[in-house]
Amino acid sequence: MTNRRSPFRIAVLVSVFAAGAWLSGMELFARADTDAQTAPAAQKTTERSTQKSGEQVFMQNCARCHKPPMAISPRTTGTIVMHMRVRAKLSSEDEKALLRYLAP
Amino acid sequence: MCKGQTAPTYTRLIDAACRGMLYRRRNSPQSTIELITVTGHRVDHDMKIWLLAGCLLFCVMNLGAQDTDAPSTHAGYVPVISGAVGYVDSISGGTPTLLPAIDPVLLVPIGSHILGEARGEFVGAFSRRNGNGDYTGQVFSELDYAQIDWLADTHVMAVGGKYLIPYGLVSERLDPIWIETFQNLPLTYSIGLQTSGFGVGGELRGVAVENNKYSIQYSAYYSAHSDKYQFAASRATGFDSSIYFSPQHLEIGTSYQRYLDDPRNVNSEATYVSWQPPQIPLDFKAEWDHGYYGQGYWIEADYMLSQVPVANRFFKNVQVAGRMQQSFPDHGGGHGVPGIQTERPGVALNYYIRDNWRIISSYERNFTSTKDTNLWNVGFTYRFVWPAWPGRK
Repeated sequence: MTNRRSPFRIAVLVSVFAAGAWLSGMELFARADTDAQTAPAAQKTTERSTQKSGEQVFMQNCARCHKPPMAISPRTTGTIVMHMRVRAKLSSEDEKALLRYLAP
Repeated sequence: MCKGQTAPTYTRLIDAACRGMLYRRRNSPQSTIELITVTGHRVDHDMKIWLLAGCLLFCVMNLGAQDTDAPSTHAGYVPVISGAVGYVDSISGGTPTLLPAIDPVLLVPIGSHILGEARGEFVGAFSRRNGNGDYTGQVFSELDYAQIDWLADTHVMAVGGKYLIPYGLVSERLDPIWIETFQNLPLTYSIGLQTSGFGVGGELRGVAVENNKYSIQYSAYYSAHSDKYQFAASRATGFDSSIYFSPQHLEIGTSYQRYLDDPRNVNSEATYVSWQPPQIPLDFKAEWDHGYYGQGYWIEADYMLSQVPVANRFFKNVQVAGRMQQSFPDHGGGHGVPGIQTERPGVALNYYIRDNWRIISSYERNFTSTKDTNLWNVGFTYRFVWPAWPGRK
């Protein structure tokens, strides 16, 4: 009975590890991506960031609810922007633009 | 991602794991899962914990290495203690109450894709004994939220734990004491937030569509029923969605909640507008709420006097605001909704000493069929952000 179930259990174990690897950035599968697949994404990101500056993102999203802060310590900027990304439902492109704006 | 980490490393780890162990369900009455090796040796409880810890560490290390922005920015990802301190001297219907408050927020990032965050609230309410005696009262403490956020994708974020229910403009966005212009919450605040304003369960949120002209944001949640201390919540599900027109700085949104505890299958809806004209320091917000216990609306306009040409250094930090609200009870009201029809116009005057220091004041007049009362508030708020861990400067 144990032998009959083993493939299933191994599959479950592999799935758990695969999910963990996917959780940690999809590196396991992303490595198989070709340059052709990743290039348009990078180009798209660059295109967007040129279209929407960090200041624009800030004024359009953060300033909707509160006054702009005078200064944020760079040590904490990444954490705070993550928090604000969740709260303001920002995209990762907007998050990156904000990081470049607040901690260039 | 970790530059030194390659795919073969993962493969080796998985292969080793598959070769070395498998799961077997023990044929015991408890039917617990036991981990054994291929040699048949049982892995004891401590070993399971170590294996689990190793797997978690493995993920966390890789998550930490995902900071793709690190080379291009100086943004640090240290844990942060943030929050606000406030003090309000409130007079409601002639009864003075002192309301000191501390709302600490803890942010703990794990890499740049997972964030643990929690906010507590300690509010004191002190009023005079018998109307003219010594001040007496008590301090109330509450865990506002304790959640894990997974920034899974540019369009999707998953939230688990105790979270603020995304409903309307106030609950998630305008409620913190250092943000709200009026210290008194809107009359219809509790609609859609039954019964505690918090959910215990999961939530998906993010931006569905984004371009230069508009973006569409969403959040959808499910909350389980919980009676646990500091995790009390009702069974409910709902969503919030809004469209934001970037050039006009105009947002129009709607929220919906289906309450699944008793009274069963009660719906609440909200529609809101938020507009900040690009050339004017004006912030206009309005919301209409409808629920089982009542309905109502509030309209608020906040204006920074930065365009005043005289004494601009002073006036640019002055904010004047006006708010009008009405509530109409259904089914007798209650659950935070006034039991009789209420109108409440008000004005506020706030002064920003710095961006994080604020002197606040407001006056509102409460009109009801039984009694009209005045609501006065004067106080200050202070917002702080401190790194909780040494990091690069």
